[in-house]
Amino acid sequence: MENILSILIFLPILSAILLYLLPLNVRTTRSISLSVTLITTALSLWMYSHFQASPHMQFVEDYAWIKEYGISYHIGIDGISLIIVMMTNLVMPLLYLSFWNLDRKGYWLNLLIVHGGLTGAALALDLILFYLFWETMLLPIFFLIGLFGHNKNKDFMSMKFTLYTIFGSLLMLLAILYLGYSSFAQTQVWSFSVSELQTLHLDKTTTLLLFSAFLFAFAIKIPLFPFHTWLPQAYNASPIGAIVVMSALMAKLGVYAIWRFVFTLFEPLAVQSAYFFVSLGLFGMVYFGIAAIRQNELKKLFAYSSASHLSLVVMGLFAFNYYAHLGAFYMVASHAVSSAALFMMIGMIYKRTQDLRIDSLGGIVHQAPVFSAFFAFFALSIVGIPLTGGFVSELLLIIGAFKYNVSIGFIAATTLLIAILFVFKVLQKVLYGVKRDRVFKDLRTYELLSLIPLALLILAMGIVPEYFLQKIKPTAQQHITQEISYVKH
Amino acid sequence: MSSTDIIISLLVIGLGAVIMMLIAAFTNLSNRKLSFVTTGIILIAIYFQMGYQGELFSIDILPEIFDHMLRFDSFAALFNIIFLVGAFLMIATGRAFMQATKFFLPETFSLILFALFSMMLLSMSVELLTAFIALESASVAVYVLVGLNRYNIKASEALFKYLLLGSFSGAFFLLGIAFVYAQVGSTHIGDIKAYIDLHENYDLIIIGGFLMMITIMFKISAVPFQAWTLDVYDGASLPITAFMAGTFKIAIFSIALRIFLVDYFTLSQIFQPLLIFTAVITIIGGSLLTLAQQNIKRMLAASSIVHSGYLLIALASSNVLNDSAAPSIIFYLVAYFLSATGAFGVLSYLRRWDTERTTYEDFKGLASQHPLLAAMMSVFMLSFAGFPSTIGFLGKFYIFTSAIESGLTWLAFIGVLAAFVSIYYYFKVIAMMYFYPQSKKQELVLSFTPVVIAIVALAILWGGIGTGLVSFLPGANVIIETAKASIASLIL
Repeated sequence: MENILSILIFLPILSAILLYLLPLNVRTTRSISLSVTLITTALSLWMYSHFQASPHMQFVEDYAWIKEYGISYHIGIDGISLIIVMMTNLVMPLLYLSFWNLDRKGYWLNLLIVHGGLTGAALALDLILFYLFWETMLLPIFFLIGLFGHNKNKDFMSMKFTLYTIFGSLLMLLAILYLGYSSFAQTQVWSFSVSELQTLHLDKTTTLLLFSAFLFAFAIKIPLFPFHTWLPQAYNASPIGAIVVMSALMAKLGVYAIWRFVFTLFEPLAVQSAYFFVSLGLFGMVYFGIAAIRQNELKKLFAYSSASHLSLVVMGLFAFNYYAHLGAFYMVASHAVSSAALFMMIGMIYKRTQDLRIDSLGGIVHQAPVFSAFFAFFALSIVGIPLTGGFVSELLLIIGAFKYNVSIGFIAATTLLIAILFVFKVLQKVLYGVKRDRVFKDLRTYELLSLIPLALLILAMGIVPEYFLQKIKPTAQQHITQEISYVKH
Repeated sequence: MSSTDIIISLLVIGLGAVIMMLIAAFTNLSNRKLSFVTTGIILIAIYFQMGYQGELFSIDILPEIFDHMLRFDSFAALFNIIFLVGAFLMIATGRAFMQATKFFLPETFSLILFALFSMMLLSMSVELLTAFIALESASVAVYVLVGLNRYNIKASEALFKYLLLGSFSGAFFLLGIAFVYAQVGSTHIGDIKAYIDLHENYDLIIIGGFLMMITIMFKISAVPFQAWTLDVYDGASLPITAFMAGTFKIAIFSIALRIFLVDYFTLSQIFQPLLIFTAVITIIGGSLLTLAQQNIKRMLAASSIVHSGYLLIALASSNVLNDSAAPSIIFYLVAYFLSATGAFGVLSYLRRWDTERTTYEDFKGLASQHPLLAAMMSVFMLSFAGFPSTIGFLGKFYIFTSAIESGLTWLAFIGVLAAFVSIYYYFKVIAMMYFYPQSKKQELVLSFTPVVIAIVALAILWGGIGTGLVSFLPGANVIIETAKASIASLIL
């Protein structure tokens, strides 16, 4: 199983292409799609068990691709990319299961492609290869919104989302090309490999421009304040499948990419500008939190809630200490699971009521107790109640923030509670609230099947965090040691 | 290889053109059969042309007869094969169109072969007057092809517009040659280079260079010489537009590159500011023009101006220190040519069912009608837009890196902005095809044309992601390496 990573990337993509070309009906297509994701999940679990808790890249594959320019097919996995890959592979099959009775062929195919693209982007160690996957996963989202979106202006929104994110990516591409050329200018060898570009010597202005170009691309995807203006409308127009992917997986990939590329390539500058980004993260958390409270639409509300938590994660990244990084990545994992589950449940509400306005929902608890129990559990796990993964990650993040700066730690610890406000608002108005006379069926078997694993995972992450953290720790530790050495210089 | 071997394919095409003309005059064969015969002739020529790729050589063709005016080198070999494949693909993808319409006279095929013959001659000529004659005779064939549809006022307008403006601009080339001759006393490209290397004063050569540049800029429709492009591309029938946008433009670049890289390379500092300026206004003007189009055929025509702009970025970046810019031009030409052939091929294939299907509105719901055709069209659009995993991305990659290499990062930035704008108009086509339902379903008939279009689409994808791991197929890096070898052969 030397090529396990390549299999994880290309199995979904190739099956999507095959399924598109073969004249199969929807039922067969979705069965095959689900089987493919189950296979990749099994493979990724196998890989997880064989992943050694060490800071080194593992399962590395490195083939020359375009020799002239030193571009190679270079992939590998370490403790941090392991999180993204595992989350993708755990969430995807459950997402498929959660709307099992959907009869649109394109839905399944696009999700398969995005699955492969996400995995590829998380594993790529060559900048051009990363860019390839980073862009490739955009295309299925474009199709998902345009083909299956709810809103009247879905075409406009799919175009707006695409243009917005591609604009960021293209600037990043220019920065990548410049880095490759700098390598050529300094060593006479073209290279786009992250580890080799790390050693470049660039002057201050250039570094700042390149740093901004990279960060710009990732800030749009996450999104960070003030690059979030696509977020509410895009989420409003998108089908649930696309939202789960965007919120639970793609946004996390943006965080990961900051860590992998920005921190590796521009360490000194990242450390120097840390204070700015920590503040931006804190501000974003509060800003998006308040924005979430003001929403009257479930999808938009949780879109802002996601953005709020991801701002916190970015704060943790830029705090540059061991606990903050551990907390940030643990939150990436726990929030991915919680938000995927929540958005899947929002999809179930939409299927039953065709309406997601908080005003017009209510009284669900009387008609669907099981549904309400799950919904409440996932919503609370986002806030970080004890026994959930969210709790552990918030604890680590706050410790990290205190280590960074006592006042920052204090602000982070208090404003974290803002999430409670909107979560309780939702629970109160949607689950309880005025009883409506519409029929609201309780969870069906396939829906239950898709939610139970996620709930168990959240509990496990809260109760035995050490089991999961042990794989991440060495990588985070090593990275921090490197950065500390930079600060001291 | 002897010098008679290497002109076999040229002779095949030349004789083929004459024979086709005679067949058209004296027999009554259908267009279908004629297109088969033409395809056969081109395939024979391709067969004789193969096997020179990747090698480094430079031979004067029958020097005792042609007085060193024609040279067959790796450069010409590469361009010839592109022309031949281009003509082959044009006929293959345009067959359905040619059968569905009435105005393709039997002489069409003879004209295509004449154009092909002249273009091959153009890429081989190392003497300016020969190049001019080849350029003009190729142009004349294309003028007539543009005006084929006699019953359409738009086609006639396109013909006259192109003919008048084209001949007018062609005169500048001749004037430029006169200036060069006045100083050097020879019109051999090699002699001009030798003169520049040995002398201090070469003002007239520079003036001649600027004049020749005008003609070339006109032919590749760089702003401000772009005025004819939209109407001519729109007026010509679809296969001919494909031929002009892809193959004929490459022919212009073959002579432009030869003159520029051999003669004016050491003077590139003088030409660079003008090339940069032209590149910038071409990109910006072309993008604005493209955004305004409501018709896909016109949009593709206008966007070909933007693509000329990208090529000018690379041309502006090529100087003595930068040896990657010129190969990037060739790579981009190949990438653009494949995408254009495919896109126009899809458009002309659709003529089979509908009389007119070129506006954005007409494309609504194509995906539910012809899923595979829509998928291929998407591939072509993505490649035009430079989306990764297509050959168009690598084309832009090479061009932008070569600009950065020459210290023109800001020019690459403008290119990136244009690429961003282009996402809008290319993705709009995809959105139109996929995001609107249409009830009547027409299954794709498995015939020759869609198979060829599918092969082009696969070539585009393979060109973007191809690895050297599959032994029987050349990887994505082979094209750029061939291009490098062909550029190197210019100064052998």
